Amino acid sequence: MTAPPAGRLEGQELLVVKGLSQQFGGLKAMEGLDLVLREGEIVSLIGPNGAGKTTFFNVLTGVYPGSRGSIRFRGIEIRGRKSHEITARGIARTFQNIRLFANMTALENVMVARHCRTPNEILPALLRTRAFYREEQGIEDAAKELLTYVGLRSVGNHLARNLSYGDQRRLEVARALATEPGLLILDEPTAGMNCGECEGMVELIRKIQSRGVTILLIEHQMRVVMGISDRVLVLDYGVKIADGSPQEVQKDPLVIEAYLGKEPLRNN
Amino acid sequence: MSVKKYAFKAGLFAALVVFPLLVRDTSLAHLIRSAGTVGLAVLLALGLNFTLGYVGLFDLGYIAFYAIGAYTAAILSIHGWSFWLILPVAVAVAAAIRVLVGVSILRLRGDYLAIVTMGFGEITRLTINNLDFLTNGPKGLPRVGEVIRPVEFFGYQLGLDPSNTDFYYLILAFIALAAVLCRRLEDSRLGREWVAIREDEVAAELMGLPVARLKLLAFTISAAFAAAAGVIFAHWERFVTPESFVFWESILIVAMIVLGGMGSIPGVILGAVILAGTPQLLQAGAEFLTPYLGAGFINYRYLIFGLVMVLMVIFRPQGILPSKRREAELTQKEAGVP
Ligand SMILES: Nc1ncnc2c1ncn2[C@@H]1O[C@H](COP(=O)(O)OP(=O)(O)OP(=O)(O)O)[C@@H](O)[C@H]1O
Ligand SMILES: [Mg+2]
Repeated sequence: MTAPPAGRLEGQELLVVKGLSQQFGGLKAMEGLDLVLREGEIVSLIGPNGAGKTTFFNVLTGVYPGSRGSIRFRGIEIRGRKSHEITARGIARTFQNIRLFANMTALENVMVARHCRTPNEILPALLRTRAFYREEQGIEDAAKELLTYVGLRSVGNHLARNLSYGDQRRLEVARALATEPGLLILDEPTAGMNCGECEGMVELIRKIQSRGVTILLIEHQMRVVMGISDRVLVLDYGVKIADGSPQEVQKDPLVIEAYLGKEPLRNN
Repeated sequence: MSVKKYAFKAGLFAALVVFPLLVRDTSLAHLIRSAGTVGLAVLLALGLNFTLGYVGLFDLGYIAFYAIGAYTAAILSIHGWSFWLILPVAVAVAAAIRVLVGVSILRLRGDYLAIVTMGFGEITRLTINNLDFLTNGPKGLPRVGEVIRPVEFFGYQLGLDPSNTDFYYLILAFIALAAVLCRRLEDSRLGREWVAIREDEVAAELMGLPVARLKLLAFTISAAFAAAAGVIFAHWERFVTPESFVFWESILIVAMIVLGGMGSIPGVILGAVILAGTPQLLQAGAEFLTPYLGAGFINYRYLIFGLVMVLMVIFRPQGILPSKRREAELTQKEAGVP
């Protein structure tokens, strides 16, 4: 295993994964995965189709329980916890196949995700107390601010499913941010985007990092990976085969062989 | 709310308030009782709307909670409890049973949930049918020599007047309260959360919503509505038997919601009025219609009902008065695991 390059160790350990495995019947989708994420970095997770990248995200966020191993987030074990508890602890995600609340408006999508950071009481809602209106207003204001942040303010009242593909991906990011994550994980955030949209997304990811959010993203476009990442992890057949700076990983013969079929890694 | 809508609602409510006063001394006086029966159906449908309408969970055993409310009321009333004390207790009993059952079945989805809830409905009915010492079995409550006490309202006894006007007003008041309750829940964060769960359960959980708890809450609120309706029913009829709580009744309430428009309060009320009201009207009109259609025509009402439902599903699947969102959803399909 490659040690993380020196000079990138500024941040505290945020996420520590040890020996994490996920089996589906006889299929080992992920096997003995170890990794560390530090506060404030942007890390890309790459690997061929079916390598187990999304599976890792799913175990990390409690969609699958994981078969073995541990996941410590901010020092607390979270493997096997319920997804909403993990979100409450500060991990939020987007999806490879967009999973917005399609028939809710863009604004409502973000508002719902905001709920986990605001108290939930029925009585004020039934009695329509001042506190109720204040809370609703607070949720709405925060959601609007996030829509502005990702550049979707003008389409807040559109149903999510009527947004363009690129806007849907942005909305997923806004929705994830509404849960106030310390770690944001993005599953192929630029998939299916054209050049312009893709650059916009890269810019957005950088902007989010500058807010102090750590980012882990699955990405297939090498130009994006090389341009944005502080560090790159490579998965193949459920096993981590490389972990280092973009330059190091690019030259790693194991990666070249497994990931790119014995061709040198191109930069675009 | 727009002024027009507000005026419409106020007008409708006023009409419903004066209706019994206009008809009680005429040959149409029996319509007051029919309207009360329809009103109970409206209450039941508003309750089921929480699970089926907002969260999209099929519950085919819903009538069990109507039964639990009615029997709790009958048993306690026989022991001398007053209506106003029974009401919260019966609601609490139904809610508690719902939580106990719900915890184990809410992991199920779609068809499985429908089948298990259907089983629960039947088990409840059979239990009531056989638990003689408590429920007097098929013979119903109260037993000879016992009575269900009348409802008292600040010293005034409801139901002494044979026109049923008292209960009509009681039910109307409950519907008004229920509608406000429904609207406020729908129009709050809870409503948004339920819709998000209906849209995509996995994504909702991943965005921090405690999906299991929120589903259970919807289930519990719906059970509470049914129990409250059951308490009123028992006090009105002053007699309960297991026959009132057959599987068919659960289906009928589901049909009211589908017909009217899932998740739409006006739609659900309209659906209940149509499906519960039509048999009442047919019965009321029997003496006029029999010479033309033959004495057996009333037996065709289920056939007609089935036909109407099939046509609805084909030509207007969103219901008569759909909620905007449900209408939009019909062109959407479901997603699996991320
Ligand atoms: N729920 C599941 N049941 C069975 N097998 C699964 C399940 N989820 C994923 N797999 C399998 O696990 C392996 C890893 O899949 P995964 O989706 O994690 O790959 P990926 O790296 O995200 O690929 P891609 O780049 O195509 O998104 C695949 O062989 C997949 O078929
Ligand atoms: Mg994937």
